[in-house]
Amino acid sequence: MTAKNPVLTALDADLSVRVLNQIPTPVMAVDKDFKIVFMNEAGCSLLGLPLGEITQYKCSELMNSLHCGTPECRMNQAMQSGARATARNEVNIDGRAVPIEYTAAPLKDEAGNIIGGVEYVIDITSRVRDEQKLREQSRTIMEISTPAISLWEGIVVLPVVGVVDSMRAQQMMNTMLAKIKETSSKIIILDIQGVAAVDTAVANHLIKITKATKLMGCRCLISGISPAVAETLVQLGIDLGDVATNATLKDSLGDAFELLHYEVRKTK
Amino acid sequence: MTPAHVSEEVHVELNLSTDNALAITSARRLAGRAGFDEAGQSLIATAVSELATNIIRYGGGGEVVLRLIHEQGEVGQPGRDGVEVVAEDHGPGIRNIERAMQDHFSTGKSLGLGLPGVKRLMDEFFINSKPGVGTLCIARKWRR
Repeated sequence: MTAKNPVLTALDADLSVRVLNQIPTPVMAVDKDFKIVFMNEAGCSLLGLPLGEITQYKCSELMNSLHCGTPECRMNQAMQSGARATARNEVNIDGRAVPIEYTAAPLKDEAGNIIGGVEYVIDITSRVRDEQKLREQSRTIMEISTPAISLWEGIVVLPVVGVVDSMRAQQMMNTMLAKIKETSSKIIILDIQGVAAVDTAVANHLIKITKATKLMGCRCLISGISPAVAETLVQLGIDLGDVATNATLKDSLGDAFELLHYEVRKTK
Repeated sequence: MTPAHVSEEVHVELNLSTDNALAITSARRLAGRAGFDEAGQSLIATAVSELATNIIRYGGGGEVVLRLIHEQGEVGQPGRDGVEVVAEDHGPGIRNIERAMQDHFSTGKSLGLGLPGVKRLMDEFFINSKPGVGTLCIARKWRR
């Protein structure tokens, strides 16, 4: 049997280490007391220490991660449960916080007893940055999609497109109230034709917005209630109360002209 | 609920309030592919939005799975297509489901029409929640 041949076994061990050293991300093994028993080259260079020195420490002493010493530690969980575990974490090396994702697995001896744990670590700095960027971009899209338009003397229109969440609703509220003050408008039309889904949260926001505009001496008309939205609101059981609603922006504008005693006439 | 054949599945992770947008648009598109008209798409998207909002607001994040489903008809009868929504979180759970299913009951500052509303918007509705474990909600709507 080749496995019994001491030379081949040594070669195998040597090969395994060389393979692990070729992996460009830290791989580490610890014993049951979390003392480091192995660290590949990527890990050593990240920590800036030779392997001989690293094996004198416990992993928590070198990683200083948010999970170290807490029940969140996946290495501990893997050793306790015998199952692999992955999580996001943040390590602190030389005062520098690095966002990481790590996967820990139990390390077993030939008899299957858990004798420690092994984990690999991925630096997710760029992923975290991308996620952050994505969040900022979606926020930007939201902001630019909340314009308040002075349509006529005393009439402001706010076309709402896309998804309304509480942050967006707050934005709409601010935009509208600022515009009402700025233009001394008497009527504001909230056109919700382009809203992706009018659910109870959105309806609640709309009710609040109309209440706030009322306090500023402005009437709020809601337009763009499509047959689909009307059916949805009824099914949900939402009562928009005394909020004036219309199917189209055209209808609401007609109402607005009437309320302000404007008359639109064809002259020829 | 009787098992149905699933021909398509979309997973949407829900953590931030902006994630709701993806759940809504995915639901609309899937409902469109299932053959629902504009009104049907709106009803389904709204139900998904309602469940997704709950997960983000109260469930501490979770996932909604949208499925295109088909159910075989009786012998000689055509089957039917529909959409199944599975919303799951591992949040604090709902202590009193009966009350949460009542109109105008809310522990937050909402209208308290969400869950009963979803039940009315959809054809089939199932909810199970364990305090400290999480909440699972499955809802289906069939095309007529």
